[in-house]
Order: sequence, then structure tokens, then C-alpha cells
Amino acid sequence: MIEIGLIQDIISTFLLVVGAFFVFLGMVGLIRLPDVYNRLHATTKIGTLGAFGVMLSIVAKVGLEPIGVKAITVGLFILLTAPVAAHMIGRAAHRHGVGLCKESVIDEYGKEYNK
Amino acid sequence: MKRYILYSMFLGLIWCFVHGTVNFNNFLIGALLGPIVIRPFRSLYGFENKISYQKVIRKIPKLMRYFYVLFIEIIKANIMVAKIILQPKMDIKPGIIAVPIRTKTNTGITAIANTITLTPGTLTIDVSDNKEVLYVHAIDASDPQGLCDSIRDDLEEYVLEAFE
Repeated sequence: MIEIGLIQDIISTFLLVVGAFFVFLGMVGLIRLPDVYNRLHATTKIGTLGAFGVMLSIVAKVGLEPIGVKAITVGLFILLTAPVAAHMIGRAAHRHGVGLCKESVIDEYGKEYNK
Repeated sequence: MKRYILYSMFLGLIWCFVHGTVNFNNFLIGALLGPIVIRPFRSLYGFENKISYQKVIRKIPKLMRYFYVLFIEIIKANIMVAKIILQPKMDIKPGIIAVPIRTKTNTGITAIANTITLTPGTLTIDVSDNKEVLYVHAIDASDPQGLCDSIRDDLEEYVLEAFE
């Protein structure tokens, strides 16, 4: 006889492991990738799914309790704000003259705003 | 005034979600706090544009399809970046390319910029001053034309349908 609580626990743990794994990958990417723009790829995309996975795991654990509803809200706000933050960091970096890494093949933005 | 009430109700709902319990008291507190938030940022809420409820309701299926596509793309993006990170030898060809866009409204441009950032291998850096070109950093920029085409055909269609 399998109880509902057990299934809930399994789903919640699974989502938590997936989320934590993706956050870990994001940190590895932050160290391994060569320049600020490539690092932003790692932190925004992977950070989003990682944090969202952790939030979903909370929801799976407690259901629609106050803390679960808050978790959903936080997840949605992360989904909305992470791209905006990445965009502002990338733009500020480029305008301050942070160059692209030497593997880069093309830079059409630099041609436009060359100061 | 009508606009204030509409947005206040929306903010009241958000307040309920942030608080955690959805009930009438919380909704009322949020709705009463709403105008205080809206007033200083009036210019951001587009008070001069007209909204028609019919148009908003007709957009709902398209919005749902857009979010479905976005969800699939986010999963794909994560797997792709994870693969790049876990490769023992880093061979990437990053670069910034200019992508022409067809959307004209501010909402549409915001939506497409955020969508590009959340989808595989691309990150929006800036919008040009005349709002016609997005500068996109791609983790694999060996084929700029192909990337422009894929953004135009795969993503912009949905954004145009859902937000314009």
C-alpha cells in the first residue's frame, strides 16, 4: 500500500535533486567559461531552471499552503527578472569596454557603439 | 480612474500571492496599496493607450501557446548549456550579432528580448536606438545568418501573435 505522502516525498526529492544539480552546473559554468558574456549564459539560464526546480520541489512537498504559493510567486519573479538582469550586466560590461574572449568570431555591437 | 481600479485589482492579486494566503482581506489591502505604487510610476503603465477587453480575451490561447513554446525552449536551453559546461574541452565560438526584429511596440520588444535570453545559446545585450535591431550574444556564432533566421521563424512568430 503506497501512501500519497510517500509519492509526494519522492517527487519533491527528485525535483530538489534536479534543481540543485542545475545550480551546481551553473556554478561550474561560472568558473569554466572564458568571459563575462559566456558566464552570463551559465548563470541566467541554468540559475533559472535550478531555482525553479527547488521552488517546484517545495510546492510538491507542501501543496498549496502559504509557503507553497509563495514559492510559486518567487519562481515566476525569478523567471521574469533573470533575463533583465543579464541584459543590464552584459550591456554595462560592453559599454565599459570589457572585451570579448579571444575565441570570439564576430562583434557587431562593437562596430555600432565604438567609442 | 477606471485604469487605477483595474491595475489595483491586479496588484491586489499579486499581493495575495506574495503573502501566501488568497482571501478577501489580503486582496483588499493589496488593492488599497496599489494606487500608491502606480502613482509614481504612471508613465510606465501606458495610461495613454486604449485597452479593449475583447482583444485581451482573444489573445489568451495565443499567450498559452507562447508560454508552452517558452517552457520547451527553456528546457532545451538548459540541457544545451549543461552539455557545453560539462565538455572536457571547451570549444565554443561566441560572438555578438545584430538581429533585425519586426516588433514595434515596447511590450513586444521586451517580450522578444526576454524570450531570446531564456532560449538556447543566445543572450540579448542591447536594443539599437531606433528599436529595429537587437544585439544578441550567441554562444555559437559561427553561422550568424542561420541564427537570425531561427530567431525570426521560431520565436518571433509566437511573440508577434501573443503581444501585438
